[in-house]
Amino acid sequence: MSARTWQITRAMLTAGTLETLRRKELYVIAILAVLMVLGAYTFHFFGVRGLEIFIKDVAFTAIGVLTTVLTVFITARQIPDEIQRRTIYPLLARPISRGQLLFAKWATATFTAGFCFLVLALLTAGLIATLSIGLKPIFIQYLLLKLLGIGWLCAMVIALSVYLTPPACITLSLILAFGSGLFNRLLLMAHWESGLDALWVNLLYGILPHWDFFDMGKKVVYDWAMVPWWVLGAMGGYAVLNGGLWLLLGWLKFRKQVLG
Amino acid sequence: MAVVEVRNLVIEYRRLFRPPLRAVDNLSFEVREGEIVGFLGVNGAGKTSTIKAIMGFQPPTSGSIRLFGLSATDPRARQQVGFLPETALYSPYLTPYETLRLYGELHGLRGHALKAQVEALLEALKIDHKAHTLNKHLSKGMLQRVGIAQALLGDPKLLVLDEVSSGLDPIGRRELRDLLKVQQARGVTIFFSSHDLNEVATICDRILILHQGRLIAEHTLSELAGYPGSLEDYFVATVQSGRDALLKEVAA
Repeated sequence: MSARTWQITRAMLTAGTLETLRRKELYVIAILAVLMVLGAYTFHFFGVRGLEIFIKDVAFTAIGVLTTVLTVFITARQIPDEIQRRTIYPLLARPISRGQLLFAKWATATFTAGFCFLVLALLTAGLIATLSIGLKPIFIQYLLLKLLGIGWLCAMVIALSVYLTPPACITLSLILAFGSGLFNRLLLMAHWESGLDALWVNLLYGILPHWDFFDMGKKVVYDWAMVPWWVLGAMGGYAVLNGGLWLLLGWLKFRKQVLG
Repeated sequence: MAVVEVRNLVIEYRRLFRPPLRAVDNLSFEVREGEIVGFLGVNGAGKTSTIKAIMGFQPPTSGSIRLFGLSATDPRARQQVGFLPETALYSPYLTPYETLRLYGELHGLRGHALKAQVEALLEALKIDHKAHTLNKHLSKGMLQRVGIAQALLGDPKLLVLDEVSSGLDPIGRRELRDLLKVQQARGVTIFFSSHDLNEVATICDRILILHQGRLIAEHTLSELAGYPGSLEDYFVATVQSGRDALLKEVAA
């Protein structure tokens, strides 16, 4: 990354983080997460024993859902908000290219959503630790993989946001994110049950977004051992390549887009 | 030397199931170094489309635009340009100080130079007492001052201002005129659109009148000195005659 692109990204990132903190969305999400974990906590309070796995499952499901929603909402508004407020004009009036702006917006969304996820995850881990429920070292890998996934998800959403209206972008992004595991299972079922050609299955499997790849929540819940680091490396490769393709797709539209 | 060169500019907007809408029709003009040029026209005349094309936001259907001899879409051309868009709503969750810091950094300023320039502009635009108030709590006039301050960041050699006095009260308008005069004395070229013809008559060297996307008049203010009436009278008469000429053209 050139020094100029870094300067642009840092400036957008500082402003974007301030904006997100002042919008107070993070606090609402954190309160929701605490409430959900406390809901599970009540079982413990009333003396129901042996519910560690249940409590962890609720906690990590809550983190997964809230992170997805938060990431999509934060990212989907990055560029449309600037266009709607007409502040895209003074931004692009500066000596920066549209590619640099798109990259800076992606970095801002990734940093902000990643920060929110870390706050949520560490808060939840702290809460369940008060119940003497420990987390295995795979939790570290869970955090790293989710952060990689957030970068990838932000790339997908920011690309969709230059093609679609904000409500359409949010709806489609949430369908693609939450439905990714389901779509893949449906593909396999179609292959097994109706004999859909393996080539088509592989092709569609490759094209479909895989947000589900980045969630090791269940492995943390069931105390799995750490996965080999090369798996995380491979996932990083997927995130960079596939996320890069999404950004390229967004840039192809945004570079010539008539604004406003 | 021409700072802005517009040659045979045509801008059309595509429309579904209808012929494209021609917003700017074969427009050519120049803005020379150190001039203040007023860009006038009724609503929908094509002023904002032309300004967007000059700033590289709107690709022309045909024709060419050059800033300082470079293509309008070249980021290097914008290094020396300050731009104020028509009614921009700066982020409601940032303060004027943070807003100016953001645009200053995007311009390439940093460190002490950035801080000094931001503070000087906040003071010059008389928004220093609101420097740390969130933009969402500012009046329209105050936000316009923030916009003008961001346009002046980086000591631009060309200022492109769209509806510059929009939202300003009479005192604010007078202060703006003084500020633009100071900029002109520094050698800054100013190209602006406005509906406030008093303002135009007070500060412009030259005016361009656009009607239905075409340039129908181009005069220096000294050329208009002999006109028996105000600039407003001249503008109304010119637009009316332009409208009549267009109607005759359509009828023929």
